[in-house]
Amino acid sequence: MGMQGDFFQLLKEQGYQFGNPVAAAAGIEVPTATTILALKYRDGVLVAGDRRATAGNMVMYDRTDKVLEIDRHSVMAIAGVPATAYEMVRVLAHSFKYYRRTQLQELSFEGKLRAVSKLLKENVPAALAGTGAVVPVFAGYDHEQGAAKIYFYDILGAEFEAVEYAVSGSGSPTIRGILHYQNTWGPQPLASLPEEQATVQALRLLSSAAEFDSATGGVNRELNLYPVVKLITEAGVRVIADGDLKRLYEQDVLRAR
Amino acid sequence: MYEEPYRWIEAVGNRRHYLDEQFTKGAPVVASAYADGILMLTASRGTPKLYEIYDRIALGGMGHPADLEKLRFSLLEMAHIEGFNRSPSDVTGARLMKYGLAPAIKQAFEEIYKAPFIVKILLAELGTRPERDLFLTINYDGTFEESRRWASLGATATVQAQMGRYLDSQPGFEQAPLKQAVETALCAWAVGSLAQAASSAAEGEETPGLAPADTTAGDASTLPGKDSLLAHVRQTVTEKSLECILLERNGPGSSKYRALGSDELGGLLPSGISTASPA
Repeated sequence: MGMQGDFFQLLKEQGYQFGNPVAAAAGIEVPTATTILALKYRDGVLVAGDRRATAGNMVMYDRTDKVLEIDRHSVMAIAGVPATAYEMVRVLAHSFKYYRRTQLQELSFEGKLRAVSKLLKENVPAALAGTGAVVPVFAGYDHEQGAAKIYFYDILGAEFEAVEYAVSGSGSPTIRGILHYQNTWGPQPLASLPEEQATVQALRLLSSAAEFDSATGGVNRELNLYPVVKLITEAGVRVIADGDLKRLYEQDVLRAR
Repeated sequence: MYEEPYRWIEAVGNRRHYLDEQFTKGAPVVASAYADGILMLTASRGTPKLYEIYDRIALGGMGHPADLEKLRFSLLEMAHIEGFNRSPSDVTGARLMKYGLAPAIKQAFEEIYKAPFIVKILLAELGTRPERDLFLTINYDGTFEESRRWASLGATATVQAQMGRYLDSQPGFEQAPLKQAVETALCAWAVGSLAQAASSAAEGEETPGLAPADTTAGDASTLPGKDSLLAHVRQTVTEKSLECILLERNGPGSSKYRALGSDELGGLLPSGISTASPA
């Protein structure tokens, strides 16, 4: 019943199906691969992602946005099969809106987390069949506790809270080590970085990931292509403009030769 | 006994009479365009009367809270399923009205063995450009109307027309900044509220539905002055609280609806009117 404010249930009653297992046909390459990262900085959480979508060794698209806003205070960064991931984001965005409008209150942060796990669980058959695996990072601002939070998931829907940072996607092993090193022995812990420095870190990390992972797109200055960087603070989600990324990249990421 | 056509018409007539009675104590609702979008305003006691339906659509209602709630849920369901299956731009006020509300309300009104919906509903839809803003109102019998620039709900059609007449007498209200727009809407609301009070006071002597206001409609000089309108608002807020929502064209994100909190609304009200909740 709609009275409970559960949009996903309502969709199911309408005959909607999510995450049907379809055996991967031999020879079909499903687009995947990515590097996404989320890290806590001084004012909240920074979430960033490269912009490349690949299928096997082919680059499909170089302008993908993998850091998707679900509502004013939460984003989901996606690694895995984009078709499933985009659908998940659509379901989540509508579920949160529907809940807020029917119940006349925001869905709690825990409620939002549950909704993500629930969808991942529904998706298990498709994930195991190889056509729908999604490994997202969910980040948002929890108004109840007055803190920004990061959660990451495995493909079966298990939820883990990240204390300082989370990474996902094919390029993530490279930057996981860097994050650990920076956070532990760097000039200052990531959580104390101001906004601009956190953004510089994100650009450096994604450039490193692109260096070692062919499926991660780094910065393409000729085409003026920069990663997507979004900040979540108490005030909501904010996208860093390409102009600012360009300036920071030229100033603090490029090394003069 | 209602099988005969005459009896049926008589029963529907009785029903109209009964329903008209239900709205006489209700608070009118005003919606109007302003510089940055649309604002909707009413005064309510306890249950809110203004709601968010979809990204660019807001609802204002008069009548029984339970009926309003039932219809609100069906609109929300329809809008979100449509927005998900097609796209958010395919969710329009006109379709919600024509396929969501009107058939259900009309059917309930004409099924004389069952209870009708005791509601009047206003949908305001924020267009991508000001000339696309649209207002839709529906009466308890299922008849609906579309309008531009403003719309209102009141106990009778006359009350609604009076409120519109006030707005039309304020040149350029649709381009006014928020503070000024709130004041204009408050005055229009007071026009409706006073007209309603006058027609229910006169009901004893006059034929119901032909309140004295009817005879004066069209004559702009009969509108009360701004001071007496604001005085009426000042008196109302001692027992009811003002409710105001906006659809902001340049608001962040996809949902353009924003309810004004009592602090923010308090700052926008003309001096002497406070939003402090009634004692």
